[in-house]
Amino acid sequence: MIAPRRLLAAVIAWTVAAPAARAAAQASTATLSANVGTIAKLNLSTASASFPDADPDALPLIPSAGGPILITAKSRANPGVVVVLTLQAADDLRSGVNVIPASNITWTATGTGFVGGTLSKVTPVTVATWTGSGVRSGSQQLYFRNLWTHPTGTYTVSLLYTLSAP
Amino acid sequence: MSRFARSIVFGSLLTAMVPAVAGAQSRGGASPQLDLSISPASITFASADPDVSPTVAAAPVVVTVRVRQNSGSWTLTVLAGGDLLAGPSTVDITNVSWTATPAPPYQNGTLSKTVAQRLASGTGNVNPAANGSVTFRLANSWLYSAGSYTQTLVFTLSAP
Repeated sequence: MIAPRRLLAAVIAWTVAAPAARAAAQASTATLSANVGTIAKLNLSTASASFPDADPDALPLIPSAGGPILITAKSRANPGVVVVLTLQAADDLRSGVNVIPASNITWTATGTGFVGGTLSKVTPVTVATWTGSGVRSGSQQLYFRNLWTHPTGTYTVSLLYTLSAP
Repeated sequence: MSRFARSIVFGSLLTAMVPAVAGAQSRGGASPQLDLSISPASITFASADPDVSPTVAAAPVVVTVRVRQNSGSWTLTVLAGGDLLAGPSTVDITNVSWTATPAPPYQNGTLSKTVAQRLASGTGNVNPAANGSVTFRLANSWLYSAGSYTQTLVFTLSAP
């Protein structure tokens, strides 16, 4: 065993004495970060809706001229939170001193998450709800409840749509 | 120990020695010397409206490569540690791409979390060190959940 022992010692000694190798690969790391903030954008196909005059017996619910309002709601929200689209009247319908309660305007809706409702000047009424981020589209058809008791006149009111993505 | 046993031991030592010597030769003065640096080491995408900014660019990253004592090819790759993560939310890492100059040796590409993607390649030495500019871009989307996403990128310079 003398020869193998010497050989083993020589190998070990050579290995220790060999110069340190430079790596054939060098690695470096970097951190990638992306800040995705909450954001909401709402688009309506029209900024005005009007109801033509009509015989209350013939047309008790007058649809708004021009057909449904097309709504596109884009939102980036925190995961799992509810994104809400609401509608609120700034006031009742007014024509000079004459007043028609805002609740005489109602709507039906189509599209995922959209629901029908009745306008209020007091509280925002839900038009649609969804969960999380996304781009959603739907339509809203407004109706005016046509009554013989409404005083004649040209009535106006401002409507406020609010899309919130907390 | 019998003569037969001694032969086996000796033979084993010879066998073990051969690759050691071969390795020593490859680890000699001719082995490639590689240097790599990335600056800045933090790559950040700012929040932006996807309609206004369909892609979001980060500030350019300066990649400095130095290759010495190399007679063959060299390759610089980048590999993502995974998708972009923000708590339970993820953004697929393939939504991050890059453009790089000068080309060659640099090339454009898209990040992967499974296969290291080639960022640059060449042959021989790069000496003195040379800079490249890499601009990462995130494909912006309304579908991303809000959050602060992070992930680690590993750049590897190799000269096989």
